[in-house]
Amino acid sequence: MIAEYELVTPLSDDDVKKLKVRDIVYINGIIYTARDLAHIRIKDYLEEGKELPVDFRGAVIFHAGPAVRKRNGEWEITGIGPTTSYRMEPFSDIIFSKLGVKALIGKGRMGEKTLENLKRYGGVFLIAPPGCSAIIVESVEEVLSSFWLDLGVPEAIWVLKVRRFGPLIVAIDSHGNSIFNEVEENVMKALNEIRFAMKG
Amino acid sequence: MKIVNDKTLHEVASTMIKKSVTRVAPDVLYLLKRAYENERSPVARKILEAMISNSYAAQKKSVPLCQSPGYPVIYVKIGAVKIETNIQKVFQKAIVEATREGLLRPSMVHPITRRNPGDNSGIGIPEVEVELVPGEADYSEVVISFKGCGAELPSALKVFTPAEVGREGVGLKRFILETVARADGIPCPPMGIGVGIGGQMHTAAKLSRKAISTRLWTDVNPDVGLARLEEELLRSINSLGIGPAGLGGDTTALTVKVEIAYTHTAICPVAVNFHCWAVRRITTRFLPDGSILFVEDEYAGKTT
Repeated sequence: MIAEYELVTPLSDDDVKKLKVRDIVYINGIIYTARDLAHIRIKDYLEEGKELPVDFRGAVIFHAGPAVRKRNGEWEITGIGPTTSYRMEPFSDIIFSKLGVKALIGKGRMGEKTLENLKRYGGVFLIAPPGCSAIIVESVEEVLSSFWLDLGVPEAIWVLKVRRFGPLIVAIDSHGNSIFNEVEENVMKALNEIRFAMKG
Repeated sequence: MKIVNDKTLHEVASTMIKKSVTRVAPDVLYLLKRAYENERSPVARKILEAMISNSYAAQKKSVPLCQSPGYPVIYVKIGAVKIETNIQKVFQKAIVEATREGLLRPSMVHPITRRNPGDNSGIGIPEVEVELVPGEADYSEVVISFKGCGAELPSALKVFTPAEVGREGVGLKRFILETVARADGIPCPPMGIGVGIGGQMHTAAKLSRKAISTRLWTDVNPDVGLARLEEELLRSINSLGIGPAGLGGDTTALTVKVEIAYTHTAICPVAVNFHCWAVRRITTRFLPDGSILFVEDEYAGKTT
């Protein structure tokens, strides 16, 4: 049975702990986009002791870079969806231990380091349907602000007000379960069977 | 001989960009719907359902199907109609205009400094491949293909020795399957897989991109041997169970396309090229009577 939840940001430990892999989640409140260059800069800022533009405690980070246009001086998002998350895997320690982020939204697998951090600090990795920006954009109500636009539109941090943002699927939960590990085990088993049958 | 000039090509280019990025190619939509019918995993069905509704939403609202326009390549075949213009320049202009309209996110950057000019312009953008085939085709053709770049990350290339190719290509098949297994959910499955075999290293890489970017995903390879190979690979890949978004399921790939070129007796280069499900491709045919038709629209007309 797949459970469905609506969560409001900032997320608490209790919000996160009740989630299990394969559950479906919708988010209400605020989410922050961040991808490769924003992660690199966050790491640099922390090392240099500089202040970050955002308080990430209890935050939801969306691995994404939007398509935007300016209408009457205001940013309007024309499309937004997940980018490949494993590129952000090396930043996993900082994101959870230093920033206090509670949920990541992205696509594709994240690894063992993320799984361990989600377990230790209490957090989840959520999958947004990949390539689905036309429906995901419908749940973005407003662009509240943006930071680090000098990195380019996709790589900046966008602060978005969202309503019923989803469907998101819990891919790694805070109890050490990962859909990806289950899938990988089955894939490797299937691969070995095919390889065996192909001997020649 | 009919000639396509600057102005006509620019108009067509703008139409092609808008059409291709605001919907999934209709041949792929057909395969997605069929996959949804056959899929047994509830999570996989949820993902496929989102992909199908996203395709309709993008087309209805005329907004990008996916926020990432990927990387644009233009494939040109010049047959019975001359295209007398700088194709790259014309398409670059149309791409910059579409970026300003919010149809394309500015995603092209300097490869080392990562500086983003903000309008998808830059050296080599878009890439253009031209084939001259006068007398062979009674039309000329321009394909635009925006291919997502998350899917590029697990792409692989290997130059095999003849011994490694194995009996009936068994070594190549293993390499392809292992590459797919390693890619798992990264290429936004259900994916398409382009395989280029032969030539030298660069030939295989180019063939792999062309195979998955220019053919309708529903077509059948006219070469019987290759058609059989494509079918065998597709069956094996789908038995891996990677599933939509990599969350497990029956639907890992929608198609496999193989293209070959003869190679040197010492080698066999093989390239595996992943394409996400979000296929943004349109094929334009210029006919000698001056008319223009879009192959994907004709396909959609026939299937609905």
